Amino acid sequence: MSTKGIIKGRRATTSVLMYAVLILGGIVMFAPMLWTLSTSLSRDSVIISHRLIPTDITFENYVNAWSFPQSFSRNTNLGTFFLNSIFVSAMITAPALIIDSLAGYVLARRDIPGRNLLFYMALATMMIPFYVIAVPLFLVVRKLRWLDTYQGMIVPFLASGFGIFMFRQFFQTIPKELEDAALVDGCSAWRIYWSIMLPLSKPVLGTMTVFKIMWSWNQFFWPLLIINKIELKTLSLALTMFRGLNVTMWGVLCAGLTLATIPIVIVYLLIQDTFEKGIVMGALKG
Amino acid sequence: MRTAASARRRPALHRLGAMLESYSMVAPAYMIFLVFIFVPVVWAFYLSFFKYSILSFRAPTFVGLGNFKKLLSDRVFWIAVKNTVTYTLGTVPVRLVLGLLLALVLDQEHLRFRRIFRAIYFLPVVTSMVAASIIWALVFSANADGLANQILGVFGISPKGWLADSRLAMLSVCIMSVWKDLGYVMTIFTAGLQGIPLELYESAAIDGATPWKRVWHITIPLLKPTTFFILVTQLLGSFQVFTQTYVMTSGGPGYSTTTLINLLHTKGFIQFDMGYASALAVALFVSLLVLSWILRRVFKAEEIVY
Repeated sequence: MSTKGIIKGRRATTSVLMYAVLILGGIVMFAPMLWTLSTSLSRDSVIISHRLIPTDITFENYVNAWSFPQSFSRNTNLGTFFLNSIFVSAMITAPALIIDSLAGYVLARRDIPGRNLLFYMALATMMIPFYVIAVPLFLVVRKLRWLDTYQGMIVPFLASGFGIFMFRQFFQTIPKELEDAALVDGCSAWRIYWSIMLPLSKPVLGTMTVFKIMWSWNQFFWPLLIINKIELKTLSLALTMFRGLNVTMWGVLCAGLTLATIPIVIVYLLIQDTFEKGIVMGALKG
Repeated sequence: MRTAASARRRPALHRLGAMLESYSMVAPAYMIFLVFIFVPVVWAFYLSFFKYSILSFRAPTFVGLGNFKKLLSDRVFWIAVKNTVTYTLGTVPVRLVLGLLLALVLDQEHLRFRRIFRAIYFLPVVTSMVAASIIWALVFSANADGLANQILGVFGISPKGWLADSRLAMLSVCIMSVWKDLGYVMTIFTAGLQGIPLELYESAAIDGATPWKRVWHITIPLLKPTTFFILVTQLLGSFQVFTQTYVMTSGGPGYSTTTLINLLHTKGFIQFDMGYASALAVALFVSLLVLSWILRRVFKAEEIVY
């Protein structure tokens, strides 16, 4: 799937120049990460290595980075924050997919009074930047006594207008006959949703999963507002605690950054296409 | 045996049951919207007319347009406006131009290592903004060991202060932000390019149009909807920049990288001046709505039919 030959028929010199620019740009893009990796593997933790490729490799920094959070709270290590991030992402993603697809199904197929109004309400939620509601949302969550809790990080994000919109668009493309047969058999709407519509929506489920996990994994502003307890911090939030190290212990800091970044990079490399599709789809959010 | 048609013509009671069933399926989503989006939106507008802090036991006091007046006469607010606009001008056009060029170049099928190049340019997009910000805080470290200063050193240039220098801090943040989101813009442009029919290029090639002419007269005009979309989302996004400036510089040195959302965060969640923060949020929201409306008008007005 490519528009081949937009710039076809160029001379060899332009071609060489193009590769040179691409490679140079690639180095610029990759250098900060490579440098971080290299620093994390260097023995010298006080004075930074001056090379992009380390000569004397050590994993000592990783051990220190893993246990570094203990200096803030005895029973924590870097794993605590990984687990928190995984837990919060999973607890947002899985229920949100169900809640969004349920609503998407009704908006696509069920003839109920106020359906258009509900649809416009879902669209309206997409137009409101999060920062606009941050202050009152904080007050709502505070009223619920959910400050410094997992549910405070999870529940407000269990439904999204974007998800509802995507599922609605998809369900509208499914032929009505599939449903009619089930209606004849006297199946309830829940049953039709669960055993016909949801299994059919695998492609949307896939991209939405990637999109939701990415989004919740990278959340920063909201947890920053409501989480103070170190034991509850997600990875992004916890990384800011490491920042205090940037005066002296770059090796440990870089090891922490590498540990935090590598899993998502590996996942990306494994499912590059799904990932990019999720991004493009997410972009439609507008 | 019942038919599909008769199944739809059920008695009133059945229909009511089916309706309630449908409402029960949308209920979870809309209850969450109600509590966590609709109530807060209304509350944000309401709060913007009140003086309120959760630190004091006093009930909110009505101040009319007081918060907005305070906002407009706040020196830091105007600095934040200036910084946010600077950030936008320093990132959005660069991302747009470089992203389009990359998408064009990496879209050629005969290009070798396409997937690898694409992955490398996309990699920063998948890293978390916080991790990327800390990495770049090290790159732009003021001492000679930071990567940026090491590179300057190769050319015999003395180390710069970067994030510690109020004249260079915003530039550093912009460079980091272009790096982070370039792959994203590239990917959206790539998706847009795939929607352009090949025949157009083929007939243009037969007519003897040079590659650059083809790009200029076919690709760029046909990419207009994509470009508009990217421009709008990028503008709206950059007016809400926060994580980079919070993590890399905490808005400093001085107020040199304090953006509107940095100010909102400080006012609302450090000083807990929640009425004032809400006024700022409402002002930002309204300006963003106006901005996207203007952009829509401008792009519509320029619409040319090919």
